[in-house]
Amino acid sequence: MTEVTITTLPAAPLHVFEIWNNAVAVAKRFKAAMGFALPATGRSGGNDALRLIRFEPTVWLVEGDISSLGDVLAEDGALTAISGGIVRIRLSGKGWRTLLMEGGVFDAESPDFAAGCSAATIIDHVNVRLHVIDETTCDAYVPLSFSQGLLHFWRQAAGSLVE
Amino acid sequence: MMLIPCPHCGPRAQSEFIYERTVDSVVPLDATSQEAMAKLFTRNNPRGVDDEIWRHTYGCRAWMVLSRHRVTNEISECRAIGPEALP
Amino acid sequence: MINFSFDGKAYTAQVGDTLAAALLRNGIGLVGRSFKYHRPRGIMTAGVEEPNALVTVGEGGRAEPNTRATDVFVYEGLVARSQNRWPNLSFDIGSVLGLAAPALSAGFYYKTFFGSAKKWMFYEYFIRKAAGLGNAPTQADPDRFSHRAAFCDVLVVGAGPAGMQAALEAAESGKRVILVEQDNILGASLIRDPQELDAAWIEATAARIRAAGGRILTRTTASGYWEHDLVTLTQRLSEPGQTPDNGVAQRLWHVRAGQVILASGSIERPMAFAHNDRPGVMLSQALRSYVRRFGVVPGKRVVIATNNDDAYKTAQAMKDAGAQIVAVLDARPAPAGANSGHRVYNNAIPLSTKGARHCLKNVSASVDGQTLEWDADLLAVSGGFTPVVHLHMQAGGTLDWNADAQAFVPASSRQNVTTIGGAAEPQPIFKMASAAKPKKSFIDFQNDVTLADVDLAWAEGYRSVEHLKRYTTLGMATDQGKLSNMAALGRLAEKQGVAIPEAGLTTFRPPYTPVTMGLLAGAGAKDAGAHVRRLALYDLHAAKNPIWQPLGYWFRPRAYPTGGETLAQAALREAKAVRNNVGITDVSTLAKFEVSGPDAAAFLEIICATTVSKLAVGRGRYTFMLREDGFVFDDGTVWRLDENRYLLTSSTGGADRMATHISYVRQYLCPHLRVSAVNVQEHYAGIAIAGPTAKAVLTTLIGEEPPRHMSTVPAVIAGVPVIILAASYSGERAFEIYITASDAATVWAACEAEVMKVGGALYGLEAMEFLRIEKGHLVVGGEVDGRMTPHDLALDKMLNKAGGFIGASGLARPALAEAGRRQLVGLEALDGDIPEGSMLIPSEGASPQGHVSAGAFRIIEGGSVALGQLVDGFSRHGEILIASSPTRGQKARVRVVAPHFYDPAGERYRD
Repeated sequence: MTEVTITTLPAAPLHVFEIWNNAVAVAKRFKAAMGFALPATGRSGGNDALRLIRFEPTVWLVEGDISSLGDVLAEDGALTAISGGIVRIRLSGKGWRTLLMEGGVFDAESPDFAAGCSAATIIDHVNVRLHVIDETTCDAYVPLSFSQGLLHFWRQAAGSLVE
Repeated sequence: MMLIPCPHCGPRAQSEFIYERTVDSVVPLDATSQEAMAKLFTRNNPRGVDDEIWRHTYGCRAWMVLSRHRVTNEISECRAIGPEALP
Repeated sequence: MINFSFDGKAYTAQVGDTLAAALLRNGIGLVGRSFKYHRPRGIMTAGVEEPNALVTVGEGGRAEPNTRATDVFVYEGLVARSQNRWPNLSFDIGSVLGLAAPALSAGFYYKTFFGSAKKWMFYEYFIRKAAGLGNAPTQADPDRFSHRAAFCDVLVVGAGPAGMQAALEAAESGKRVILVEQDNILGASLIRDPQELDAAWIEATAARIRAAGGRILTRTTASGYWEHDLVTLTQRLSEPGQTPDNGVAQRLWHVRAGQVILASGSIERPMAFAHNDRPGVMLSQALRSYVRRFGVVPGKRVVIATNNDDAYKTAQAMKDAGAQIVAVLDARPAPAGANSGHRVYNNAIPLSTKGARHCLKNVSASVDGQTLEWDADLLAVSGGFTPVVHLHMQAGGTLDWNADAQAFVPASSRQNVTTIGGAAEPQPIFKMASAAKPKKSFIDFQNDVTLADVDLAWAEGYRSVEHLKRYTTLGMATDQGKLSNMAALGRLAEKQGVAIPEAGLTTFRPPYTPVTMGLLAGAGAKDAGAHVRRLALYDLHAAKNPIWQPLGYWFRPRAYPTGGETLAQAALREAKAVRNNVGITDVSTLAKFEVSGPDAAAFLEIICATTVSKLAVGRGRYTFMLREDGFVFDDGTVWRLDENRYLLTSSTGGADRMATHISYVRQYLCPHLRVSAVNVQEHYAGIAIAGPTAKAVLTTLIGEEPPRHMSTVPAVIAGVPVIILAASYSGERAFEIYITASDAATVWAACEAEVMKVGGALYGLEAMEFLRIEKGHLVVGGEVDGRMTPHDLALDKMLNKAGGFIGASGLARPALAEAGRRQLVGLEALDGDIPEGSMLIPSEGASPQGHVSAGAFRIIEGGSVALGQLVDGFSRHGEILIASSPTRGQKARVRVVAPHFYDPAGERYRD
């Protein structure tokens, strides 16, 4: 039950998508252009080409091709590149929930934290953003400078998850 | 460690938050120098409920005002602050 | 059969034995020496409340001192040693202290402090040698410690019959349940008193709890109850001193519970009578545990003293085990219930014990006013029951007084916690008369506090229970008074002439039982305690084997010595390369914010105290930020990348503070602005290239004319898009190159190659410091120390005259414009080197008028120079002062000058 594999995903474009006003209108334009709705706080939406994960009230993390998002935002928000500062770490296997409880404060064992859910929290003093892919996969977005330290922590913890 | 009911994320551990200041010590941008000093250095400091500004720094990064009882830590209200957001 | 050793001798234990059970099984009655008087002590309890049998378990870095022998389960190869004795346990020199007992009575330390210092020095030598528990290990602990969070609807503390029943009901009603038990098996009181609920019931109930999704943690103690129903659990994954199976010795759980049910039971109380601390005197329920759970019968002739019914079960257990019940001393005036078949004395109160060679020989008691004696090798006592209310009280609860049980029981709580079982309803007892011989009647066994000490404290005027506690040290040992507090309270109430609840209570604080430091440190027990922040270019730097400099959580290269250079030699060579040719350095850690939107300039003019909106696209400027009270708290540069897009940089050390500040202003003060301010500190790695040939190097790298000073252009280096900012910290023509961090290595390699081709050098923080001091540039945390206004730093001409920035109103205070403030100056040495941090004095013995914030030397010409802060410094150029550091025994005569030692006109920036 407690096995988990930890892998670093290759660098990929990541952007901050921030709306500063007319949020409802932007949401409408977004839905019309993209075919899916802007996800609610704590959720993700999209597809393999473009995925938006919402960790903040006015900010979405965008993974993928942003070429059509500028028009959606128009004068109501901005896109800013942040990929350089983030390392994506994939936790695979049934044990990811248990692993996230190590050094954590967030209830990753809750059945409500399911596929398509997102949460930002702190794990062993590092600010980490989580996105549940499915029951056996969770992606973590970790600050580059802390990523080596957290990887070391996770690899060590993964070997001793038994209660 | 308290459990803070973030208006965006739900109840979360205090270690995800940082405390900023009490609402009565906010210095408005247009404050005169006397007003600014009064805000910074003269606070109510009640033995009871106070309104405090906290930020969910290691969570949703949003700001909120907590009504917290200084003796019992009972949090009677937590309201969101900041630009209007989509639900 | 399990092999273990105690004080170097080999013994065997049975599977499931605690160390205490195993010692008793081997006939070992003497286990330790008491803290103050070195009195011989044995095993008194069978649980975590044990005050006497403290041993050191394990060896090397794994050794755990002060481990209760009752709270460690024997494993193959366990090594235990007794403590606080010299040269050995049965012959202990320190025990002569016991003869001098009156000298060490209550308040001994206080009184000695108030005596002459000489007297204290005299005593201290002996006290330090004699008083003490086990020694902390000197080697590092090889094991790891885990911290883990858990969430549940119901947390049940204690797996006795009440706790297991509660956990079962909650789990089977679909709730998330955690049941914790400090023992290594479930059942608690059922283990010694099976009755109708037996081992089969325990097993079946545990299975049902698990089947319903409940989590059961044994060897786990709920040790702290914090705010909002957070309970910390300490779990032993291996026994003290044992090598853990997978590296983790213990786990600290942080459990956030919807509801907490405390089924923590009660702790039996000893009785106060003379020599009640002798090996062979044991609590009644503990004796029953040894007999029934472990099959150990630690005596042949037992006297049982009680004030309640429960001890009769012990008599029965001993009888069943074949021991002789010499006498049951029942404090109650009349026989209770049916004839037990034992020799029962009513109105019987123990008076004293006698022993020899650390064994019990004889018990005397007052029976109906007459003194009777019995030969016995074991005395079991039951003075009543103290409910374990620690967690309830840590949660901020209140207590009620249960007169029948002479005990405090949980009442209300502001948290979601209830107490059930024995802790809520302790057994009734009979209130006994107090002991006849207070002097040798111990109440706090671990700190050697007797009833006489309580009396003395009272006689000397200590009325409050809090004062009594500190004066006598009662309840302050590692057992935190689990056995002693009620006895002391009773005595105090007696003295005060009040009922016990009116005498007051001391505060219950976590942890319930001692925890090891490593467990609290968790993963941070190794290394620094926090993660090191690594540069994006870490591997490239590490390959050059630099001297690293910690900077907050970051580690940055301080210098790159070659060929056996010292730090100073390397830094000077690097700085000279920048002055004469070109150098390259990593500036990635600077704080960086990308600010976009139609209101970006307006927003930045609230954050920054300078103008921003006047910048043309492609231009940048120096800027600084004020606190609301008008003092400078950070500085940096701001660049207009595009019509509505700016890049703001600020100091590395202030990066997190600035991120919070920017967010506060944006979200709290200015929610209406159309702006997005994104922290891109880690998105961009930064490379600085500085020196007279930097422009030529950059021209080669980007294939075109680089931007002029304080301009910015996008460019491409080695196929990677970059942003080039022409800014200088060193005082030379210089460029900062910002690159998406994941591509930074490619760009660094290209830049370094080009710099090396023209004979340049890598430079680190130390050279950077030399360069900026010589140039007179500020550093946040040095010259910008939170006490300097823009005027004090000669930045006032740059202030935005339109105001509107944070700190403008604070800065308008008249006192900030008055004479007598410290101002930024340069200092030139007339002799010797200027010590950093030294104070500036006009003459020997005069009061300081300022201090030196940073010292260096002229890089090319040599000679010590420094930056400092001096009262009215702007108008004192030319004065001679002394820079004196008495703590380091260094001083130099200095001349006050302008804070620019190099190129004051800034001509070297320009092409």
